[in-house]
Amino acid sequence: MFVLLKRLQQLRRSVALAAPAEPGSLALRHADCGSCNGCEHELTNAAGPHYDLARHGLSVVASPRHADVLLITGAVTTRMLGPLRAAHAAMPEPRLVAALGDCALGVGVIGDPAELVGPLEDVLPVDIRVPGCPPTPTAIAEALLGALDLVRHPLREDQR
Amino acid sequence: MSGVLEVEHVETGRWRSAVAAAIDGGAEFDGLYAAPTGHDPAVRLVLRQGAARRMLTARAAESRLATVVDLLPAAEWDEREAHDTHGVVFDGHEPLRALVAHPADRAGWITPVEGPDVHEVAVGPIHAGVIESGHFRFHVVGERVLHLDLRLFYKHRGLERAAEGVTLAGGLAVARRACAACAAANAVAYAQAVESLLGLEPDEDLRRSRTVILELERLYNHLHDLSALCAGVGFDPGTMTFAALKERAQRVNERVTGHRFLFGAVRIGEGAGDVDAGTAAEVRREIEAIGSDAAAAWRTLTFMEAVQDRLRGVGPLSREDAERWGAVGPVARASGVHRDARTENPGLLWYPDLLPARPEHPTGDVAARAEVRALELEQTCAMLSGLLGAPPGPGQATASREPAALGVACVESPRGATVCCVEADEDHIVRLHLRTASYANWPVLARVVPGAILPDFPLINKSFELCYACVDR
Repeated sequence: MFVLLKRLQQLRRSVALAAPAEPGSLALRHADCGSCNGCEHELTNAAGPHYDLARHGLSVVASPRHADVLLITGAVTTRMLGPLRAAHAAMPEPRLVAALGDCALGVGVIGDPAELVGPLEDVLPVDIRVPGCPPTPTAIAEALLGALDLVRHPLREDQR
Repeated sequence: MSGVLEVEHVETGRWRSAVAAAIDGGAEFDGLYAAPTGHDPAVRLVLRQGAARRMLTARAAESRLATVVDLLPAAEWDEREAHDTHGVVFDGHEPLRALVAHPADRAGWITPVEGPDVHEVAVGPIHAGVIESGHFRFHVVGERVLHLDLRLFYKHRGLERAAEGVTLAGGLAVARRACAACAAANAVAYAQAVESLLGLEPDEDLRRSRTVILELERLYNHLHDLSALCAGVGFDPGTMTFAALKERAQRVNERVTGHRFLFGAVRIGEGAGDVDAGTAAEVRREIEAIGSDAAAAWRTLTFMEAVQDRLRGVGPLSREDAERWGAVGPVARASGVHRDARTENPGLLWYPDLLPARPEHPTGDVAARAEVRALELEQTCAMLSGLLGAPPGPGQATASREPAALGVACVESPRGATVCCVEADEDHIVRLHLRTASYANWPVLARVVPGAILPDFPLINKSFELCYACVDR
């Protein structure tokens, strides 16, 4: 097992993930609002040994009160609307919202319209968009590393 | 074998006696659902009898039908769902608590648990890590769990309703969308149900190529599950080692099918593509390497007493309870149930020599559930290596008999037997029902947890490793 872990150093180097220009950190809070679980798998992979977002200062936290970024997956079901709003309201400002995956972006959604309130954009202001079904770990990692810049140079209301 | 599904129409008043007679005759439960049929809904009971599958159906006159939940305890969720989605009242199923529906009133879904020092711990729907959404209500005294109420369906997207009126070809995307981690199993179950409805038989290439897709899905899922189990006991080297192997397996998926979750790798009536000999040889070597690295990591884990000590004896499920409550997949096999749906349909896929995995001690605890996955990883890598040694063409299914109005298929997903039922009017879906392995196992999990201490719940939960998405649909 520990031999394998040594080899992970190699594997990690095989991922061409550019380090952010300026070091920083962001605390991420994930909320699944009706995904197929694909985005969750890839987000977990992005935090896993190959991509290892934590080495660039990005970590998943257990409470919205500790979070800078709310990561939303899924088409936003009617049943998740309340918990989503509560999680967003619990975050300290400034805060960012990321739509992770096509469903959250309202692309190619399948379901009964009566059960869905998405896309996310109709519910909360979205700062970061990561398309894909699901987005690859590289796409997720790059978008979130880009968010480090967004924190330093926030968008004005009219640029969103 | 695939073949014409035997459908028996039962008079409303004879429902219980007909179901009891079927059970006495050795039939086993594979799901129950309601379907719209004119004025009153109909209730369908899917049964398996040896290698064959049959269905009993009755009209719920004035939307009422006698319950069979005392005869088939595994049908508890199915009856509750049929009530919530199609308004069928099951007489004798009391209280008929909400499952899909989310009533505002506590009494509509929470079991009353009272007594000195009893209190409730509410968890979710949003969880603390990167986890799907669902709500757990633990009734505890001190650390000890007395009862667990599950409230899932936060992710209910109405997929089955969305499929109604869609063409049979279009239904595939709906079935696949239910869940990414079981996308291949759900898609194959749907494709086989439609092929059974249309009277199509798969040729050898199609059977082999679909088996490759299903085993690739099992490979990355079982690696993921062992990673999650290590996380459940806070053993990070194990978590990361198996996570790295899972990433490698998903890269294999992309290499073989063009998608990390095998999306688009299943079609109705034909295979989606073939693998050239050069790619097959490379992929085969990588799968063998993943298999031997996984085996080495598992061996290391078995010698780590601190880890093993946390797995043994936690969350036990007896064989009797596993059978009674309808557990499926690795969870059932860990309890000594000798069943694997892969061995049940010899004409549809390609498992000539497979025997259901048997842990050395089928103790039904977290340790046994981990061991079953390690054993199945070995089987899966060996099967993939064999199949890719002579890579199959895409293959196709050809007409062998007259089409019917209804098709049923059962596929062993990484989590267990998944049953798909399709009812059609000509080319359009009237009813699509997907009863996944996670659906079968969630109520079993809720029955295993009482008696455990609350901090062991995440570990027990991870040893089941169930999807929310393919339950909520």
